[in-house]
Amino acid sequence: MKGLLAIYRRELAGLFLAPLAWILIFCVLLYQAHFFLYVLPLKGGEVNGSLVFVLGGGVPFWLLSIFLPPLLTMRMISEESRSGLLEFLLTAPVSDAAVVLGKALAATTFLALVWASTFLFAALCQALGAAPDWGWLLAVWLGATLVSALFSALGLVASALFATPLLAAFMAILANIALFGLPFLARSWRGPAGERLAELLERVDVLAHFQGSFLSGALDSAHVLFFLAWTAAALFLAVRVVESRRWLG
Amino acid sequence: MIEVQHLTRRFGARTAVDDVSFKLERGEVVGFLGPNGAGKTTTMRVLTGFLPPSQGRVVVDGFDVLTHSLQVRARLGYLAESVPLYREHRVQEMLWFQGRLRGLGRRESRTRAAAVLERVGLADRARSLIGRLSKGQRQRVGLAVALLPDPEVLVLDEPTSGLDPLQRIEVRRLIQELARERTVLLSSHILPEIEATCPRVIILQRGRIAADGTQTELVERLGGESFVRLELETAAAPAAVAAELARLPGVQAAEPRGQAGAFLCLEVRGAGDLREALGRHAAQRGWIVRELSWQRPTLEKLFARIALELEPARAEGAA
Repeated sequence: MKGLLAIYRRELAGLFLAPLAWILIFCVLLYQAHFFLYVLPLKGGEVNGSLVFVLGGGVPFWLLSIFLPPLLTMRMISEESRSGLLEFLLTAPVSDAAVVLGKALAATTFLALVWASTFLFAALCQALGAAPDWGWLLAVWLGATLVSALFSALGLVASALFATPLLAAFMAILANIALFGLPFLARSWRGPAGERLAELLERVDVLAHFQGSFLSGALDSAHVLFFLAWTAAALFLAVRVVESRRWLG
Repeated sequence: MIEVQHLTRRFGARTAVDDVSFKLERGEVVGFLGPNGAGKTTTMRVLTGFLPPSQGRVVVDGFDVLTHSLQVRARLGYLAESVPLYREHRVQEMLWFQGRLRGLGRRESRTRAAAVLERVGLADRARSLIGRLSKGQRQRVGLAVALLPDPEVLVLDEPTSGLDPLQRIEVRRLIQELARERTVLLSSHILPEIEATCPRVIILQRGRIAADGTQTELVERLGGESFVRLELETAAAPAAVAAELARLPGVQAAEPRGQAGAFLCLEVRGAGDLREALGRHAAQRGWIVRELSWQRPTLEKLFARIALELEPARAEGAA
């Protein structure tokens, strides 16, 4: 797609040029390190389990993956629409899809790098003599990245829909919490209507798909596809919203 | 090069551009003039493919903006009114990004970036952060970004806003230079800008074209009549002086236009320049002349007339 690479590179550079990115990386490193050191003794010094817990197995990871993507994507469309930069991009000879996709890829790449910080702990463990299972870690990391791709795409939809970055972030966080939490609720509902609803919600159960495959170290194409398909659907929606902005003016 | 046919653009119930048609030949420089909210920016946004038209057709170099938007955009250089630039980037990075967006190679991008920066007089600020530049400098960076791909058509929305008088002259000269090889459509609400750069003017008022033609043509056709303003000191009654002047050969009408102390102000209408006849008469009568000037219609007066005359109509429409 023409221009996609240019936009991807610009967005990624833009993320790293803003102080927010570095503050986020710093906080995430502290946060992850804290939980790693907290879990390690609980698991009796078992390195793999502790690393996987930090990278995707525990609540700390899910909290981050709910809050981080909206913070990265909130400005990408709403603020550029205000500053006129969206007008610049949308009058350049590139498609709307290339603009949205470039932004989504940049946010996902950034988050993939953030999750890769766990590899620092793994490398440290290796250096200290407790070799981690790198294959397992990579599978969990890939899963975490796919989750981030989905949540970034949703963040972009919110950023395209709402006029201010703060509102966009807030709505995206709500959407993420709903996506993450509804299957939990559904499981506790009783009755035939609840059954059907639960079945429906299982189709968007991010946590189950993540835990069912990546967390156990298995790369299952069905689960990879689950994340890719929903990400594509969200991106398609974001492109449509950007397009409709042209018509509404 | 640009053909706009019956373009209408609505935003909800509001019609921003209403049945506008015009044509720009290759190499033509046209100024868009109009009060705020007349539809200049909306028309430009439709031209550049940012907004789709509600009705009508816009064709640029044979490509319809609605169906062949990317081809149109590839031929256009557009500087939006807001001068969109990434403030966290350096000037040259912004230009390189534009080069990549337009599919230029790395080397070509870099040589073109250096060339356009030279052209807008910012060669020494290539490595400056855009956020640290002054408004005038950012305006020129915006111009450089629009020029980078060497487009055949340039659409510039208020290209001189925020510039100091010296930079204004520079940008004006630059636009005149660019106009030699390109089609340029620029908008401004600053009349001298348009007068100095654009032979042809399109005046928009409330989304419609109020006038379209070369400056001299428009002023002759729509500018209204010329008259001689005469201010003199006399003891005679204003009405008597007016009647006396009206009897002079070539004079059609003379009207008193107020009195300031001992001085009487008159407007004398007639064929051509009557200054000599009036001056001679005043000298014969021993009147002391304080002002004797030929008031010809200008683009500015024409513009003011168009803008003001149609004001009551808008009030009616709203009611």
